[in-house]
Amino acid sequence: MAEQVFITGMGMVTAIGNNVQENLQSLRLQRSGLGYTRHIDTIHKAVLPVAEVTATTQELAAMAGKENVPGYSRTTLLGLVAMQEALRSAGINDAREMPAAFINASTVGGMCDTEKVYFDILDPEKDGAFLQFIDTLDCADCTQRIADDVGIREYVTTISTACSSSANALMYGARLIQQGLVQRAVCGGTEALTRFTINGFNSLKNIDKQPCRPFDQQRNGLNLGEGAAYLVLESASLVRQRQSKVLATLSGWCNTNEAFHPTAPSPEGDGAYEAMKEALAMSGRTADDVQYVNVHGTATLNNDLSEGKALERLFGDKVPRFSSTKPFTGHTLAAAGAIEAIFSVLAIRGQLIFPNLHFSEKMEELNIVPETQLITGVPVRNVISNSFGFGGNNASLVISQYEG
Amino acid sequence: MKGKYYIQGSAAISPQESFFGSFTPQMPVVEGPLNRLRAKEPDYSGFITPNNLRRMSRVLKMGLVAALKCLQNSDIAIPDAIVTGTGRGSLQDTERFLHNIRDYAETALNPTPFIQSTYNSVNGLIALQQKCTRYNNTFVHRGFSFEHALLDGMMQLAEGRADVALVGAFDEMTDEHFYIKSRLGMWKTALTQPADLFTSGTTGTLSGEGAAFFTIGTTPGIARLDGIRMVYKPSRQELHAALESFLAQHRVAVTDIDLLISGQNGDTRYDQFYQQLTRQFFPQTAVQYFKPLCGEYETAGAFALWMAVQTLQAQGLQHVLVYNHFFGEQHTFFLLSAV
Amino acid sequence: MEALKLKLKQQIIEALNLQDTKPEDIDDNAPLFGEGLGLDSIDSLELMVLLERHYHIKVEDPREGRKILQSVQSMAEFIQSKQPA
Repeated sequence: MAEQVFITGMGMVTAIGNNVQENLQSLRLQRSGLGYTRHIDTIHKAVLPVAEVTATTQELAAMAGKENVPGYSRTTLLGLVAMQEALRSAGINDAREMPAAFINASTVGGMCDTEKVYFDILDPEKDGAFLQFIDTLDCADCTQRIADDVGIREYVTTISTACSSSANALMYGARLIQQGLVQRAVCGGTEALTRFTINGFNSLKNIDKQPCRPFDQQRNGLNLGEGAAYLVLESASLVRQRQSKVLATLSGWCNTNEAFHPTAPSPEGDGAYEAMKEALAMSGRTADDVQYVNVHGTATLNNDLSEGKALERLFGDKVPRFSSTKPFTGHTLAAAGAIEAIFSVLAIRGQLIFPNLHFSEKMEELNIVPETQLITGVPVRNVISNSFGFGGNNASLVISQYEG
Repeated sequence: MKGKYYIQGSAAISPQESFFGSFTPQMPVVEGPLNRLRAKEPDYSGFITPNNLRRMSRVLKMGLVAALKCLQNSDIAIPDAIVTGTGRGSLQDTERFLHNIRDYAETALNPTPFIQSTYNSVNGLIALQQKCTRYNNTFVHRGFSFEHALLDGMMQLAEGRADVALVGAFDEMTDEHFYIKSRLGMWKTALTQPADLFTSGTTGTLSGEGAAFFTIGTTPGIARLDGIRMVYKPSRQELHAALESFLAQHRVAVTDIDLLISGQNGDTRYDQFYQQLTRQFFPQTAVQYFKPLCGEYETAGAFALWMAVQTLQAQGLQHVLVYNHFFGEQHTFFLLSAV
Repeated sequence: MEALKLKLKQQIIEALNLQDTKPEDIDDNAPLFGEGLGLDSIDSLELMVLLERHYHIKVEDPREGRKILQSVQSMAEFIQSKQPA
């Protein structure tokens, strides 16, 4: 049997908090991070709600200890803040102590900064400090700056599968560990809001002008968000050797493709169903063992329908409690899978289930409704976390209580 | 990672005549004024229906058709996993969407360039066209894009999750991006013919592009893929130690290597990695240089592996080693052997 | 109306890159999606962009869009209804 993979550290920054503790606090207090952008220059800024990290880029630089250091995009700084917390939380003072992997996820790299100067870069007459951002558009830029800063170098790479990117990063890191290529992998993703992405999703006509309403009959699209999250994964033998504090077990995962449509899921949720089913089988758990599903739940017409159908297919009339936390954080694209994986760990550790904000009316196609209140003091031992995306990419993770 | 991995089939679109028939390396001639090699694209209409073709941008067609041709060459319809690497994805679409945002002042934007600018869109298209609903992943990390795709595919085999994985890479160059990268000093400034790349004595190199795909499996195929070793930002000592341990791990001595396929690209800032490694380990070994043939780009390593497979087969070699790095940062060794 | 429909057909062909299609190949009442021209949901978004760019008509709701984009005839009627008499 393949070696178990444990979660031993985590760090994050989102619109609802600059670290894991602040995020948990906001989830408990039902404090949404949705609002209007203060950092992006777009005609949509007073129209389309977003979940933006409160800190300015300069403030993030200060938090990351990179004040006045050139070349750090907002994407990189968000990632660095989350990475530093993840290592701290895992009790790692110096990541160079052993060969480790950094598997990052990003959809548009440093577009947030590049798009501001893109046409200057194209203009041979223009020269200046903006040229430092030329290469940040590349997804590898943020990954390598973060890796170099903390000294991870055995495996360094970036996954980009749209909205499932960081769930795939977690899987990939876990598999590197199981194959014995490394004992430790830090995995997750970073995503900064950009005018590019806002206009992209708006051109698909799937951004809601109101705060998003996952699994609601009246839902009308998603809200974008930004943030970064990383989880430290360690092999069972490393955990034994360094007596790591285990937060939870990454017990199962699955990646499938729908092969249905470039941007839309199949109406019956074939890919979502397969991903959840296979991940659960890998974890050695059954449907009855799952107490909570942190759904992808973007609140687009298509996603929630197909994901809901998949839940009903998998669990029959015993669908576990489920909620989408996107009304808190917005849809953070490449960071979403890792952010929600951390929320899943928090659900297990706190024995609580987070509410699905803004829900009021059951979808007519489904028999199920999400949780709308914070539920505390319930046993939460196994959580499924879903991330589905463009290109038909589906990823499900099973996160389980550590029985050590 | 234990187990044996074999390349079952391959296909490449490149600045060479690589798509049809047997491969004979041809030293290309750059017309100028830019130091840039363009891929020789086949007629795509035999592979993609007109209705699907009409929206696809250039690199999507290039990636998809290289993948389809690879499956055809391998006599496989539906692989168990599709993993790709790309350094830049569809540049044409990214640029188009950036321009549209400006030109139309963020109103009335066509979604197509946005959708196609997503790095995993080629993967999605391959899955869609072949109805492949299993594992699907995309790496976007300069000189570790294709390399991780290959490692991921090998791990799928090792885990028993796949019998055959389709693994590949694609990258295009555009006028706009060529200019952007020229501001970073990536290309030689004076027109330099590929044949003169190593004697120019200048910084920068020649821009390239292409797509190459492989099917890999656990049953004997056209070549054995012994392994891959990546080294990130190494010193010379670390690089050499990595090569030694890599070869030792596969029980191959340096003298067993019949051919070294080298990524040397004539950039005087980084060529010493290639020169030192060759001097130290392979002073007597035959060396083939692939960058004059395909140019430099993030996933040129995929072309190198493709060329290694062709050469190993055509010349009946026992062991071929590929060494490549991308502007001194991401270094990779591939080891191939006869079946 | 006839002139508008011809122009619309030309614009559709150009916007959707329907290379081998000529305006006379498109029946006024033939469904644009599914059967007919074989267009999909992304095309429907592109057709809404066409309406916005060429006729300054903004269709906000994709569900409303589906009705308008049934055929060249329905598109033309919608455009006319929005144009000042």
